[in-house]
Amino acid sequence: MSSNEVVVVTWGRGGEAFAGEVDDILTLGRGVAAATGGALNWLTLGPVSDTIRQTAGTYGVANIDHIEDAKLAEFSADATVAALAQYCEQHSPRVVLIAQGFDVRLVAPRLAAKVRAGVVMNAAAVEVDGGGKLSVTASAYGGDTRAVYEIAGERACVVSVLANAVLPEAADAATTPAVRDFAVDLAAVDERIQVLEKPKAEGPRLDAAEIIVSGGRGLGDAANYKLIEELAEALGGLPGASRPIVDDGWVDSSHQVGLTGTITRPGLYLAAGISGASQHMAGCSAAKTIVAINTDSDASIFRYARFGVIGDCLEILPELIRAAKS
Amino acid sequence: MRIVVCVKEVLDPDAVNNYALAGRLEIGDDGKSLTQAAIPRLMNGFDEQALEAALRIKDTGVECSITVVSAGPAPGDILKHAAALGADEVASIEVDPAALDAHVIASLLAGYIRTTGGADLVLCGRQASDDDQGVVPALVGEMLDLPIVTIARAVESGDGGWRVTRVTPDGDEVVAVTGGAVVTISNELGDPRYPTAASKIKARRVKPTVVAVSDLGLSADDSEPRVAFTKQFVPTIQGNCEFISGDSPAELADRLIARLREDSVI
Ligand SMILES: Cc1cc2nc3c(=O)[nH]c(=O)nc-3n(C[C@H](O)[C@H](O)[C@H](O)COP(=O)(O)OP(=O)(O)OC[C@H]3O[C@@H](n4cnc5c(N)ncnc54)[C@H](O)[C@@H]3O)c2cc1C
Ligand SMILES: Nc1ncnc2c1ncn2[C@@H]1O[C@H](COP(=O)(O)O)[C@@H](O)[C@H]1O
Repeated sequence: MSSNEVVVVTWGRGGEAFAGEVDDILTLGRGVAAATGGALNWLTLGPVSDTIRQTAGTYGVANIDHIEDAKLAEFSADATVAALAQYCEQHSPRVVLIAQGFDVRLVAPRLAAKVRAGVVMNAAAVEVDGGGKLSVTASAYGGDTRAVYEIAGERACVVSVLANAVLPEAADAATTPAVRDFAVDLAAVDERIQVLEKPKAEGPRLDAAEIIVSGGRGLGDAANYKLIEELAEALGGLPGASRPIVDDGWVDSSHQVGLTGTITRPGLYLAAGISGASQHMAGCSAAKTIVAINTDSDASIFRYARFGVIGDCLEILPELIRAAKS
Repeated sequence: MRIVVCVKEVLDPDAVNNYALAGRLEIGDDGKSLTQAAIPRLMNGFDEQALEAALRIKDTGVECSITVVSAGPAPGDILKHAAALGADEVASIEVDPAALDAHVIASLLAGYIRTTGGADLVLCGRQASDDDQGVVPALVGEMLDLPIVTIARAVESGDGGWRVTRVTPDGDEVVAVTGGAVVTISNELGDPRYPTAASKIKARRVKPTVVAVSDLGLSADDSEPRVAFTKQFVPTIQGNCEFISGDSPAELADRLIARLREDSVI
C-alpha cells in the first residue's frame, strides 16, 4: 500500500543549486500531488542549501526531506538505492519523480525492484484519473512514438522524467517547507562496484552548453569535423556529433548527442549534415532554436528546425565561420 | 564459466524511423501496436553487441560457454543468428511480451538463469530500441542479487570477477566487480561480427531449447505485472522552418548569422 504522497528525489553536487533542473519535475510533482490529494515532498541526499529551500518554496513543496550519510558523500549506486529504499519503506510515496540522468538509469529501476514498485523511464507526462489510476506517458522508438503505461492497482511508481518535458510554473502560493531529517542505516551496505579509473572530465560538458554546433555523416569525412569545431569556437559553443560519426571514430563518444548520447538543451543547436532521426533529436529537440544545414530539402531535421539552409555544409560552414567572426 | 546473453526481438528501428518520417507510422485497432507488417523484426542492436562482448571474452581464451536467451514470441531468426555467431546454446521462453511488463520479463530471465545453473556473467543491451526503457537488466540484477554495471564499452575477465569500461558523460570509467555481475552493453563497444556462410548453414539446424514458464519457479508476485502498456501514439511535430535563401554559400551564411543576431540567438 502506498500513501498519496509525491516525492521528488535529487542527489549529488554537494547539495548545490540544481539550477533549472528540478523546476520542471517540481512543477510536474505539484500537479500529480494535487490529483492524488497528497503532499509534495522533496527528498535530497546531501546538505539542504538555501537554493534548495528557496526553490522548494517557490514550487509549493510541503517538506524537504533530508538524508545525509558518509556513504553517500560520493555517488555509490548501492548506498543510494539502499537509502532511497529505506525512505520509501517508511513514507510509502505513491510517486517517486527523478530527473533522468546517467546514474538515474541505474538507480530508478533498482529502487523500483527493492520496493516492489512499477518503473517508467523517459517519462514526458504523469496523469492521475478521477479514480486515482496513475498513468505515465513515455517516449518510445527514440521519440517516434509515445507509449502509455498504466500502473497496476495502488502500486507505487518510480518515474524518471525527461528534461524539459514540463514547463516550470511556480505555485500560486509559495510555501515555507519544513526540513525533516531522515536517518538511514547504511552500515550493511558495501558498494560492490569498485572504481579503478575515474572518468577524466575535460572542459565544459555538452549538457550545460548554451550553443552547440553538431556534425553528422553529411560531413563526408573525418577531416571535415574541424569545420564543426571551428564554427563552435567562433560562436563560443561546443562541438557535438551524431552517433554514426562517433561509431566510425571521427570524434570520441563524449560528443554524441541523442537518445543514447548526451541530452542537451542549448539556446542554439546548429546541425550540419545530420538527417534528424528521432534518436538524434531526442538529444536536442529541447533546444530553443535549431538551425539545420542539409543538401536534402526533405530531411527530417527541417521539421524540427527554426531556420534551414538547403545546401552543402562543406561550402557553407567555412562561410559561417567567417561571418561569425566578423 | 557460464555467460548468459539476454536478447530481445524488436521491429527494425530504422524502418520505424522511415515510416515516421514519411508520416505513415500507424497504430492498430488495439491502440498500441504498430501496424506496418513490412517492418522487419530483428535482434535489438545493443543485444547483438552484448553477444559480441561475450564472443570477445571467449576469443581471449577464457574457458566459457555462451547461452543466449530470449523471452518473446516463437523465436524466429534471432536465435538462429545467435547460434551462427557462436552461441553454444540458445533458449527461448515463449510468451507474449506485449502482455507483460519489464518486471515479469525480468522474473522470467532471472528464473531461467537460476534454474539452469546460474551465470558468472549476464550480458544485456543497454536498452531495447522499441521501448527504450533500459530497466530489465537492473531488475534481473536485483532478482539475482548481482551487481549491475551499466553502459559498458568493454568487458574483460580478471581477478575473480570482471573489469568493465563504462561510457559516462565525463568520459570512460573503469570499474571492477568480484564474482558475478550483470553488465549492459552500449554501441561504443563497436560493430558486431558477421556470421560466416558456413556457420549460417550449420545454425539452420540448431533447435532452441524451449523453456516452459512453469519450470522457472516463479512466485505469484514474480508473474504479476506492475505496469500495463495500454496505449501508443505518434506525436505530431509542428514544423515552422524558415528557409534562408541566397545565391552563394557566402550570402547564405551572412543572412543566417544576421538572422540569428536579429533574434538574439547569438
Ligand atoms: C536504439 C538507437 C539509439 C540511437 N541513438 C542515437 C543517438 O544517441 N544519437 C544519434 O545521433 N543517433 C542515434 N541513433 C542513430 C540514428 O537512428 C541515426 O541513424 C543517426 O542519427 C543518423 O546520423 P546522421 O544524421 O549523421 O547520418 P545520416 O542519417 O546518414 O544523415 C546524413 C545527412 O547528411 C545530409 N548530407 C549529406 N551530404 C551533405 C552535405 N555535403 N551537406 C549537408 N548535408 C549533407 C544527408 O542529406 C542526410 O540528411 C540511434 C539508433 C538506434 C536504433
Ligand atoms: N524479452 C526479452 N528477452 C530477453 N532479453 C530481454 C527482453 N527484454 C529485455 N531484455 C534485455 O534487457 C535489455 C533492456 O531492455 P528494456 O529494459 O526493455 O529496454 C535488452 O537490451 C535485453 O538485453
